[in-house]
Amino acid sequence: MTKTFVLAAALAIFCGPIFSQTTATSTAADAAKKPLSTRVVAYQIEAKLDPTKHTIAASETLTYKNLTGQPQQTFPFHLYLNAFQPQSTFMTEVRLAGTRGNGPDSEWDPKHFGSITVDRLEVEGAGDLTNKMEFIHPDDKNSEDRTVFQVTLPKPIAPGASVEFRIAFHDVLPKVVERTGYAHDFDMVGQWFPKVGVWWKNAWNCHQFHATTEFFADFGTFDVKITVPQNEIVGAGGDLVSSANNSDGTKTLTYHSEDVHDFSWTASPSFTVVEDSWTGSQGPVKIHLLMSPGHMRSAQRYLEAETGSLRLFDQWYGPYPYDRITMVDPPHGGGDAGGMEYPTLITLGTSAHMPQGVLAPEIVTEHEFGHQYWYGMVATNEFEEAWLDEGINSYTEVKVMDELYGKNTSAVNFPFAQMSETGLQQTGYFSDPAKDPIARFAWRFINSDSYADITYSKTATVLLTLEKVIGEDTLRQALHTYFMRYRFTHPTGEDFLKTIEEVSGKDLRWYFNQAIYGTQVLDYSLADAHSDPLKWWDTSAHPSKKNEKGEVYRTYITVVRKGDFVFPVDVDIKFDDGSTAVEHWDGQDRWVRYQYDRKAKIQSAQIDAHNQITLDRHPFNNSFTEESDPRAAHKLRTIWVFASEWLSQLLAWLT
Amino acid sequence: MAAAKRGTFFSGAGLVWQWQRLVWWIFAVCLIFGLFSTHEMTERASSLLDHSVAAQRLVNGFDASAFIMLQQVPDSPLEIQGHNIVHFSLLFLVFMLFVTGGILAAYVLDEKPTTTAFFEASGHYFWRFFRLLIYLAIVLLPIAGLAAATSAMYTHIEDQSISPYPGDHFVEAAAVVILLLLIIVRLWFDMAQIIAVAEDEKKMHRVLRRAFGLLRRNFFSLLWLYLRVSIIAWALFAFGLYFWMFRLSPQSNVAAFLLSQLMILVWLGARLWQRASESLWYRNYQANQVSEPAWTPPPAPMYMPAAAEPQP
Repeated sequence: MTKTFVLAAALAIFCGPIFSQTTATSTAADAAKKPLSTRVVAYQIEAKLDPTKHTIAASETLTYKNLTGQPQQTFPFHLYLNAFQPQSTFMTEVRLAGTRGNGPDSEWDPKHFGSITVDRLEVEGAGDLTNKMEFIHPDDKNSEDRTVFQVTLPKPIAPGASVEFRIAFHDVLPKVVERTGYAHDFDMVGQWFPKVGVWWKNAWNCHQFHATTEFFADFGTFDVKITVPQNEIVGAGGDLVSSANNSDGTKTLTYHSEDVHDFSWTASPSFTVVEDSWTGSQGPVKIHLLMSPGHMRSAQRYLEAETGSLRLFDQWYGPYPYDRITMVDPPHGGGDAGGMEYPTLITLGTSAHMPQGVLAPEIVTEHEFGHQYWYGMVATNEFEEAWLDEGINSYTEVKVMDELYGKNTSAVNFPFAQMSETGLQQTGYFSDPAKDPIARFAWRFINSDSYADITYSKTATVLLTLEKVIGEDTLRQALHTYFMRYRFTHPTGEDFLKTIEEVSGKDLRWYFNQAIYGTQVLDYSLADAHSDPLKWWDTSAHPSKKNEKGEVYRTYITVVRKGDFVFPVDVDIKFDDGSTAVEHWDGQDRWVRYQYDRKAKIQSAQIDAHNQITLDRHPFNNSFTEESDPRAAHKLRTIWVFASEWLSQLLAWLT
Repeated sequence: MAAAKRGTFFSGAGLVWQWQRLVWWIFAVCLIFGLFSTHEMTERASSLLDHSVAAQRLVNGFDASAFIMLQQVPDSPLEIQGHNIVHFSLLFLVFMLFVTGGILAAYVLDEKPTTTAFFEASGHYFWRFFRLLIYLAIVLLPIAGLAAATSAMYTHIEDQSISPYPGDHFVEAAAVVILLLLIIVRLWFDMAQIIAVAEDEKKMHRVLRRAFGLLRRNFFSLLWLYLRVSIIAWALFAFGLYFWMFRLSPQSNVAAFLLSQLMILVWLGARLWQRASESLWYRNYQANQVSEPAWTPPPAPMYMPAAAEPQP
């Protein structure tokens, strides 16, 4: 693995020819290569960025191959950028219940408004159909929402035939919001072109853009020409085919990408380019890291997380088939563009003074890279089953981060405090565990917090607990099978669950019905554990506490299922003579009591001694030790007394 | 213009040491309030954690997720903690407002702070200092306005700037200015309290006016007197925090408690050191005023009696 830090200016001079060469030599081989996906769409886009106004003027030619098996006359398109209009469904929902990083009371300055306007729409053989465009609102009947339009052709397209749409459009980028837009001299251009819907389950699937939804699209090819001023450094989700300077001070970069379902790009004159590479089972992968000013301290951390993730995904779940990955570090003030995934391009997040012990840059890198698998290749419907990309991805985030950074220190690692990735997911889920099931359309959660807690954290926690039922290795094998079987397709939640059942050879409906389709909460409690002399009435049998040897005790252990989630549990019991017992309870009843008559008293009893039932929301009531250990409470007291005194001292400054 | 006498800084520390019972006394009250504020939390935490294996996650190191889960469980011991801390801190503020008169009486008037004298002085000046607190709130309003304006300006700079950091640099610079203003205001009111005690002045607007003039004429010497102690206090506090977080074993509960209390003690002692130094400075200033009047008329010229005109 080599690593070279290249100054931003050097990129324009050196990288274009290098990439061109690479692409030129690989093109011949690619031609003979069988497509990885069923290519439904072929986009050719020419776009010109005005970096001072943050606008894009563009034209798009979309060739759509009708593989639906039936004639198609009406085609829906997404216009995602229109979500950032005041009366859109997105904004309406944000005002109601918030969205990522923004509460319902967030100020929405007009600078956060953005739009996409179709200036002209032609269809080959049918002429100008601009006036046939019609905005539709399949989800909420909000007539002011302009994120989906449809156009009806004069005559249907036969099965197997293709249709060519030629669309002229222009974008107004918002000041960065919800993954997209500008901040200072940085432009993140995502979900920026008219994108056709997906024919899925025998119908068009083209949802409006909601506060909590992401995306869904068909695989195909992208040939994109981007014209920007010559000082701009561009990163994109594709191979750079050519770069040519224009006489007007601009340059045109041509990108090609295939077997992907989206194309995004970014531009800024302030990027510093860092290059790296990694070689996996499918050959070398070029890593292009675009760092924003003041963030260079995080570059190495990003790269280590990226190469580690590439290695483990390749080893555990399946090969990474693309020859590049572009990583974009948004600038200070552009954080809302961070933490987002696009095919072969991910956006990250850090700060100028990010402490080494906070593994946020690593987590966001791993998470967004994971989406290359769970969204990029296994292209599930993010509108309807967001858990299949975000949830599975959060689970694999736990596994990869634990492997790379240690099981107990994979999220926070200071000498004075630690946090594991598992703990991070658990606390996310436990903050609001019971309002929504995992299997719910993304925009139908009670609010954006519940969407995030359930979709990301609960799914991860559910899969971690599933390891106890089928074993960690089996679940890993199931994910591998699921990936290899469904990559470059649009599987459903049931496809995923059936794959797990198939690989594990177990009927897991009892678990999935509660964990995926239900809102049950899991909480087992060790309600009682105590020992009593068997002949408690016979004072001669135990005349003094010193003469307890030989005394027979009756020990009671009572376990209560406090939550409504039924799950089998093991109870480990230790006696003070060193003997042990393990009980297995199916958890069906509300409680169970175990009784022992031994010449020993209870020392400890513990439910789930190996902490495998991560769904249990109250880990502190799972055990009982006869011996009291006040150290945890004392530590908390020390901290809070200090906090109280310190606040007192600060307030006393006023006197 | 009177300057701070050499040694005021160290003499202030000596004065705090001389009347150290004040430090211990206030520290004890602060600690008791702290213990009271956490009593309910400790009780609840004990019942939940003392017999739980999961509590070890907080003992052997500090598992932040376990701490968060502790906040999330039903009837969490931590759910009432925030309110309790605020309530007892406000109570301590009232307590300090009350005892400031007694403290300053010891420092300014150099009276031995017997219990009776201390509480008499505390009660004597309490309402005056309460009125000063209201004046302080009024004076702080424009500074709060400045902070709000800084925030608005930050947004404006962020919107306009091509580079990502000018907004931050502006806020950092503004924070220094605001901090300096806060220190100056505190110094001004410190001197007002000292004048009120030294001269038993009842009109608080009058002592504020006089303190302002005093501060204006001796700005740098007083500011430096205050800042030196602040810098020492912050440095010691930062060192203590570093040692606690990075050097102390996570299992060392007793050591952590002692260290945390030492940090509070140092902080409290430093504040009293500022008070003592300012009081000494004022005593010296007054002494200079008496022994070295600001303006002494020059002696009248001695004229020889006019000589008789020479007689021809």
